[in-house]
Amino acid sequence: MIAAVIDDNYERIKADLVRLGLTYERLMDDLLDHICCMVEENMEEGEDFESSYNQVLDTIGENRLPEIQHQTLLNLDNKFQRMKNFTYIFGLSAAILTIIGSLFKRMHWPGAGIMIVVGLALVVLVFLPLYFITSYREQTERKNPVYPIVGYLTLALLLAGASFKVMHWPGAGMMLTVSVGFLLIGFVPLYLVNVFQKSGKERVTLPYIVMLLVGIACVVLISVVNMSRDRLDVYIDEALANEKQVELVEGQTAGLLQLAQDSVHLDQLATITRIHNQARDLQVMVTGMQKGMIAFVGQPGASIEEVKGKDNKQAGREAILEHGEGSAFITEAKKFAAMLNELVKDPAVRAQIGDHLEFTSPVWDYAYNSVASSPLMVNYYMNTDAAKGIALAEYTAIAYLLHQ
Amino acid sequence: MIANDLLKGTLRTIILKLLADNGRMYGYEITKKVEELSTGKIKLTFGALYPVLHKLEADGHIATEIEYIGKRVRKYYALTETGRSWTAQKVDEFFDFVNTLTYVLKPTPA
Repeated sequence: MIAAVIDDNYERIKADLVRLGLTYERLMDDLLDHICCMVEENMEEGEDFESSYNQVLDTIGENRLPEIQHQTLLNLDNKFQRMKNFTYIFGLSAAILTIIGSLFKRMHWPGAGIMIVVGLALVVLVFLPLYFITSYREQTERKNPVYPIVGYLTLALLLAGASFKVMHWPGAGMMLTVSVGFLLIGFVPLYLVNVFQKSGKERVTLPYIVMLLVGIACVVLISVVNMSRDRLDVYIDEALANEKQVELVEGQTAGLLQLAQDSVHLDQLATITRIHNQARDLQVMVTGMQKGMIAFVGQPGASIEEVKGKDNKQAGREAILEHGEGSAFITEAKKFAAMLNELVKDPAVRAQIGDHLEFTSPVWDYAYNSVASSPLMVNYYMNTDAAKGIALAEYTAIAYLLHQ
Repeated sequence: MIANDLLKGTLRTIILKLLADNGRMYGYEITKKVEELSTGKIKLTFGALYPVLHKLEADGHIATEIEYIGKRVRKYYALTETGRSWTAQKVDEFFDFVNTLTYVLKPTPA
């Protein structure tokens, strides 16, 4: 009896399913039988066909059938499944490559740059596009290409900016600024709208949260790596002031030397000349290291103001420690300090000179070892400070000897 | 009711085990059986069921037989030979997983 009624309505049910968007024949058989069973069950409880069929249609809902069909076809699409697996494996290996590269970078081993750049390039050019394409294809409802596109641009710019920054290529700051802009005025509002639209109905999509976190992590990381503008300005101001003072003091010393040539005994003149020559040698070393650092981060001959922002923990290591005269400078400066200590008998003047040459003390030695982990501007500033100390000590010592 | 996201990964195992225990079954029968065995706690919608069934069939773990009920076609699903050994393996994996979880989530004695 019931079976007969359903058989009579078979074509109609089938037509309804087609109207609701079902086209895949093999799934059609399954769902037709399933729905008929549901209707039968309702009818066995005494309802008539019409009301129980409408009830079943209500429980199915409008968009449900295309979604099920989409999911089934994706499950069966081996090419798509392979693409998905490939995406994950690929993303994982690119990430590992990048992380190993960062480790190499940290240890200052060769090959770090190329690993980071290749790793991040693979992430940006292969993994991210594949990832957004697959996750977009998996969605059925409310497909909106704006989400993946904004998401992709944000992440791609962030990562590209980060790798440009690491490699000191131009344009890094621009990229990072634009990507943070995308994050704040594109991605976050879109994402919040999405959450509110779906609230209560569907869970928030995890990938988007992950992306948001990655974005925030990048921004935090970069702001930590970069010296803040304020601090940078303090360092450059101090460094320039030091350089100006060195010039001034050296001018005064030149006056003293002129005076010495005219008036003092020959043996004292020899001592004064020795002090002056040593001080000059030390200044030459400092200038050499300063120039080396600037050449490392920018055009040789650029001024420190042009490159102050090029934060870079390699310039000092390279231009002071590895290929610079850092350790020779410290040794010579210590000899200079020892010599002045011997020549100057007055304890008050001796203490003054000791203050000027404080950087030759063991404390400063320790600080000098941190050159490799300090940004350019800090190392530059420390060198100007040493130069100032040398110039002042030289002046004080010569003035003392002249007035004796 | 058991939350959907908890069920997600185990749905395939549940279906395979049902087929192993009951021989051939059709879709509606599977949803009914799951509801009955779980005393109504697990409601398997056809939206969740058929994508999995079709995937299992495409991978050769289950095969279909067709019967006509009046005008309509009824598809019975049953395990293949490879599906049978795979099911045993999946069920073992699942119990292993549950044991591990119990161990991890068990409140520590004060």
